[in-house]
Amino acid sequence: MVSKKKKKYTSGEGVQFMTRKAALKKLQLSLKDFRRICILKGIYPREPRNRKRAQKGAGGIKTLYHTKDIKFLLHEPILWKLRELKVYQQKIRRARAMKEYPKMRKYLRDYPDINIDHIVKERYPTFVDALRDLDDCLTLCFLFSTFPSLKRVPRDQSVLCRRLTVEFMHAIIAAKALRKVFVSVKGYYYQVELEGQTITWIVPHHFSFQPQSKDEVDFKIMSTFVEFYTMMLGFVNFKLYHSLNLVYPPMLTATFSSDDKELVDEQAYVAERIAAMNISIARLAGANDIEELPEMDLFQAEGEDPQKLEEAKQEAEKVKKLKTMFKGLKFYINREVPREPLVFIIRCFGGEVSWDKDHFVGATFDESDESIAYHIVDRPSMEKQYLSRYYVQPQWVFDSVNARTLLPINKYLMGAVLPPHLSPFVDKTRDQVYKPPEERELNDPDFKPLNRDDSGSDIEEASDEDEEENEEESDPDIDPEKALTKQYQEEVDEDSPSEDDDNNDSDSEKKQLAKEKKKAMAVTTGVPHKEHPYQKEIEDKQAFRLREKLVQKKYQKLYKSMKAGQEKRKKEIWLLRKKRRLHDEKLKAEKKAEKKQQKLQAFQEATA
Amino acid sequence: MSVLKKKRHVSKKNKKDWRKHCDIKDVEDFLEDQRLEERLGKFDAKPDSELFVVDTEGADRVEDVKTEIAISVKPRSAKERKRQNIQEIPKCYEILLPTSKVQDPNAKRNILNPVGFKPTALSKITEKRRAQKGILEKKVEIARKNRKIALSKKKKLKQIRNTFDTDLWGATIPEAKGIPSSLCDEFVPPEAQLHNVLPERRLRPKPPPPKTVVTRAAVDVPHPGISYNPSFKEHQELLQDVVQHEQKMMKRQAHLRRVTTGMFKKVTQQEKENQWQEEMSVGLSKPHNPAQDSDPETDNEYKAVNPPVRNKKKDHKARRKQKEMLQEKERLKRLKVEKKKITDLYKLRQLQSSISKSELRQTEERLKREAKRSEASISALPALNAHKVPRKEPDFVDPQQLTGDLRKTTSTGNLLRDRYESLQRRGALAAAKLMMKKKKRVKSYFKAGHKVTDQDVERFLTRRKATK
Repeated sequence: MVSKKKKKYTSGEGVQFMTRKAALKKLQLSLKDFRRICILKGIYPREPRNRKRAQKGAGGIKTLYHTKDIKFLLHEPILWKLRELKVYQQKIRRARAMKEYPKMRKYLRDYPDINIDHIVKERYPTFVDALRDLDDCLTLCFLFSTFPSLKRVPRDQSVLCRRLTVEFMHAIIAAKALRKVFVSVKGYYYQVELEGQTITWIVPHHFSFQPQSKDEVDFKIMSTFVEFYTMMLGFVNFKLYHSLNLVYPPMLTATFSSDDKELVDEQAYVAERIAAMNISIARLAGANDIEELPEMDLFQAEGEDPQKLEEAKQEAEKVKKLKTMFKGLKFYINREVPREPLVFIIRCFGGEVSWDKDHFVGATFDESDESIAYHIVDRPSMEKQYLSRYYVQPQWVFDSVNARTLLPINKYLMGAVLPPHLSPFVDKTRDQVYKPPEERELNDPDFKPLNRDDSGSDIEEASDEDEEENEEESDPDIDPEKALTKQYQEEVDEDSPSEDDDNNDSDSEKKQLAKEKKKAMAVTTGVPHKEHPYQKEIEDKQAFRLREKLVQKKYQKLYKSMKAGQEKRKKEIWLLRKKRRLHDEKLKAEKKAEKKQQKLQAFQEATA
Repeated sequence: MSVLKKKRHVSKKNKKDWRKHCDIKDVEDFLEDQRLEERLGKFDAKPDSELFVVDTEGADRVEDVKTEIAISVKPRSAKERKRQNIQEIPKCYEILLPTSKVQDPNAKRNILNPVGFKPTALSKITEKRRAQKGILEKKVEIARKNRKIALSKKKKLKQIRNTFDTDLWGATIPEAKGIPSSLCDEFVPPEAQLHNVLPERRLRPKPPPPKTVVTRAAVDVPHPGISYNPSFKEHQELLQDVVQHEQKMMKRQAHLRRVTTGMFKKVTQQEKENQWQEEMSVGLSKPHNPAQDSDPETDNEYKAVNPPVRNKKKDHKARRKQKEMLQEKERLKRLKVEKKKITDLYKLRQLQSSISKSELRQTEERLKREAKRSEASISALPALNAHKVPRKEPDFVDPQQLTGDLRKTTSTGNLLRDRYESLQRRGALAAAKLMMKKKKRVKSYFKAGHKVTDQDVERFLTRRKATK
């Protein structure tokens, strides 16, 4: 008997995938509802390995879904809700068509909601999973919180976003979790660390709402995303508050409830929001401050780099210092400075903030308060200045956070030309790049061209810096190697004379030898073994070379090219540093000459 | 003369005949009696008091009683009598009343609304007046209150959705997984527990999300050059990126132009016309040109443009020759192949080396291609749709915009669009071309008689002047 012929596309990729149309038919949904439920449930279209087979031989590019995904959707209880809603929508449509407006309004008012909180749990089984996916959520929520009511976006969505984002910021303040800030032309980039997860998001600059052109973004889809994200952010907030021993929901100002009918102007809205951020929220009764994380334990595991461990420890210490950077400091924000980011940042690190109480609500202390340490100004000059405080530009706050210490304020004083605001998000591993001394100083607070700040005259400053530079350059790159080789040479020399002696001398001196042997046999007082640090380094180096030899043959080329690249980059850095040094020296010399000339002139004038 | 009617024989074959000639009078009488009994009540069942009256007075006293009653009862006024008459059912309608004692099987047949049910014109006015005063019927007031309560309840229910009051991730107890509490016991095996989970609470396996969605970052690391106060070098790098991108785009544009519009030759209008004329006049006889009459010696003999073909047969010799030629050709070909076989034997090594060389080259190329493809696939844009995902463009920051001042920074770009495109680039959304709804074009026109022209206006003005 001939076995039955197998039909095409009845196994493998042919049945693994499903076109969107087939999925719609299977789920008995309209395209609109299907889109919505896919976004809510986190089901994405797929890209097959072999498109022709996945499309069962059909040409073109069709939107394909995993068949298992669709089967998974089939069990979703929301599906029934959506079908019920369809009937409801038909009723509304009918009422509209029949011009029965009161009826229509009633239907719209009583439009049933879909509860989706079980989906949050389903998509993120653990809290850490949810945190990992918070980037997109936060960016979208912060963005939507600035929107007015739009045509395809539910009215209460932006209000809800506003509430949730402020709550989240409060949680961050309480957890002191902020790590990095970057002010870009797009907006503020923030990075926080929660439960070991780094979360980055963008907050748009606060300008008046920019009209969105309709043909760029599908608002309906984005609003569905936001619908899910608000749900998720709400539960994340709840969990965060509880882990921080805070009361949820926090008592903030009244602007965040959606039933507010009164029309408030945008400025007032923003002012309220910022004021809400300046309130410290209620803790659970009987709860202490957040328990400090215990000191990091250092286990030297087998084969782990001790240097890395040391680095990790240093990092932890730095973070600890960062958390209380502004503690006990009072900040006053002047009128023209964008308050929202600054309030958030300063409060995150334990500072106290206030602002002009005549213009905005929520000020906690007055401008005339003598205990204010920093006054943040963004204008070239001020008429009335207090002696007891520093007048700094807002960038000082951002740069200090990124540097993880309070930076010296002299470069950020009022009216000063600011140093560039560098991104903290650059890859630290790519360190084989030339960095001008200014940048190094910004990134690494320990690096200091010492006399830059405290020297009186520019010339002296320059010269000192140069010297520093020279030292800096010569130290890390050239010196250790030279020293090593020198050391090695010395040691070799030390060893060699004795051997040479042995070879050269003849048998006649055997007696002497015997004597020496005898001497050697005598018991002498013990000397503690002294480990030679250089010797060890040399040994390490030799071991390293041996290990290099063990690199597999197929990787040898790669390794070599890598090494060559490193060498090349090192050379480039050296060259650029040298150039810089020469340039600085030249400048210094010119300045010196100029000053000398000035002095001479002054002298001549005086004498004449 | 009564003669007994002779019994006629009639046929009762059919139903009709049967009915016609059957005597059913006794049955009908019985039924009639029964109906009457139903209507008036059964004679036997009626109590005696209803059937008989005990006559206690004589025949002559009857009239006296009547007069006595008339005296004892106060005479009614005309108005009262009229009123009483109103309440009584008028005589003319008595006939409409049911005489039967049988209960109406359909009791709901005629519902008569009581008087005052339907608002009259007068009552409407008074109601309105009262409503204006703020006096409402109790019924209405209660209904209003109830409606308010229901609405507030509904509103509260909606807001509950926005109050997040459960720790989704806190409870790892089995009840949270949908296992009924009666089965939350350590003696119940997990299989049995899971078996009893309701279908809608059951966590179902779902294939892992696509790789692109998981691995690609939602928020890209910003280029350091987009800082509001960037260092010179970083800003220059950013600009270089933009320039390179733009150059690439321009090159592509140029290429596209070359292969599309550039492919076609440009022709002037005159040339086009000439071409057309030439094409259209193919096969037509050209106009007579005496200058071209180059054959004066032809003696006006008729000559066809396409002379008739004659089917000339080949003779035997020609056929043989053709055959021989073909055979010879074939033989030579074979000979050549045979010869090649022998020479190839000596070329074996060379062939082998060439084959191995080409194979080596091919594998090398294949490896290279694979490496390139895998490298490209890491950052490749997902093709989920016939539409293409827009490529990420470097952010351009105009040097003029950079003031180094936080107060004066102006933002560029659209964050929402960035988000949208990022979702597309991660494969969370299929690319789409947004189609805007076209506005209906409505043609406006004046109805014929309603058009107001300048002349009309003038006429109106003059008339107005004249009346003044």
